[in-house]
Order: sequence, then structure tokens, then C-alpha cells
Amino acid sequence: MRFKSGIQERSIVVKCGADSFLPFAVTFGVYIILFGTVSPGGGFQGGVMVASAALLLYLAYGFKNATKALNPEVLRVNEACGATLYVILGMLGIFLGANFCRNVFFNDGQVGDLISAGTITFMGYSVGYKVLTGVGFLLLLMLGLLAPDDDEDEEEEVAVE
Amino acid sequence: MKARKAITIISLVVILAFGLAAVVNAYLNIPIAYDGSDVNVVDLYNDPESYDVSNPDGVADIIVKENLSKTMAANNVAAVVFDFRGYDTLGESFILLTAIAGAFVIVSRGHKKAKKEEEKQ
Repeated sequence: MRFKSGIQERSIVVKCGADSFLPFAVTFGVYIILFGTVSPGGGFQGGVMVASAALLLYLAYGFKNATKALNPEVLRVNEACGATLYVILGMLGIFLGANFCRNVFFNDGQVGDLISAGTITFMGYSVGYKVLTGVGFLLLLMLGLLAPDDDEDEEEEVAVE
Repeated sequence: MKARKAITIISLVVILAFGLAAVVNAYLNIPIAYDGSDVNVVDLYNDPESYDVSNPDGVADIIVKENLSKTMAANNVAAVVFDFRGYDTLGESFILLTAIAGAFVIVSRGHKKAKKEEEKQ
């Protein structure tokens, strides 16, 4: 089963488009994660936006180069680290004598500051970290099923020409 | 077979009767939290700011009035997702973890099978 119609890899137009769009996508996604407690957005949404970088890399440079830039094994380990970080932040409430997931030190700073809302901010960061690594790994996994054969075929065609 | 059919019909009738009784009981006994009978929908559509939000009830009251003193988060949605409903977000993120682990297991087994078949050929 192969999906060859439509997009041509290594086309100059696709490559330039991905190159020019990728920094904006990553910057905007990271902004949405960082300002989750102040403005609309949050960990899930920003994480998925950052994870689209994997897809853009695949469209422009093919699967092998994308996995060189973003190692799937590293992404997989980092996702587990993000999940553990969320649990530890939830356990902070127990360590300080309250319930699980209790917001314990929320009185620092003024309303509207980034670090003003206690554990809410850091929980948002951990969820964003987890989602961006997890969805990036999932995208690379799914592309790995379809892509490598196509790559080899194209290389053979180029060699014949 | 006839006995089976009779049992099926009887059980269906019993379930239907209990369900109807539960619905009627719930309708009669549950207190109505918000009754929108006084609101004119056309007027509300033309002028949304005329809606009375001074007396929200239940959880909405706590979230609207005491959000800043309870969480200091300027974004109410973030306060609900990560503070009031922290358990729920934990479950959501672990659903993602489980889904990715399952996909990884299935895909890696498929890769191994494909490699074995190639070696045989």
C-alpha cells in the first residue's frame, strides 16, 4: 500500500515553504504553551502545534532526514518524563499537607504574571512538553510505516536517471 | 426456543418499566437549577449583554467570583483544567501515553513480521 499521488518530496517549493513556515509554527506553539495561564490556549493545543514541526520536516526532507533531526527514541523517553513530572507536581500537594493536585503556593506575584498561579503554570508546561514529544513521536511512527519504501524507490529512480 | 423468547420479552419489558419509572422519578424529584422560562430569546440574541450574570449558582459561582482568590490564574479555563479538575487532566494525558504505547507495540511487531517475511523470500 503506497501513497504516491500528490506531494512530491524534495520539491523546491515544498522545501522553501516548510523552511519559512517551520520557525513561526514552533515559536507560536511554544508561546501558547508558555502563556497558558494568562491567555487562551494551554499545554495540549500548543504541544500539537509544536509537533507539526515533525510533519513539516518530513514533507520537506523525507523520512530519513526527519528522523536524523528528531530522534524518535529520545522523544519516547521524554514523553514518559513529562508524564512523571505531572504526577510529581500533583504530589506536591500531598508533600505539603493537602490533597492530591492541590494548588499549594499560588500567592506569589501579581495576577497576570507568568509564575503567579502556583502549580497551574508548571502543570501546563509539563503537559505541553508531554504532548509535543508524544504527538511528534506518534507522527514519526505513523510516517515510518509508509515512508521508507518510497524513499528507496525514489533514490533508485534518481540513480537510474 | 419458545422459553428463550419469553424470557427475552419479559426481561425487556421489565427493563423498560424500570427505565420509565427512573425517568419519571428523576423528573419529579431533581431540583431545577436554572429555569430559562423568563428569558426572551430574541431580546437576548439582539442584546447579549442584557443577560443577568450577577447570580450564578453552584460551581459557576465559585469559579467566577473566587477564581482569583483561589488560584491567581488570569485564565479561568486553565484554572479549571489544571486546578479544579487536576485528576481529569491527569487521566487525559495518560490516555495519550497509553495510546502511543499501544501504537508503538503494534507497529514494531508489524515491522518485525515484515522483516522475517523478507528474509524467507
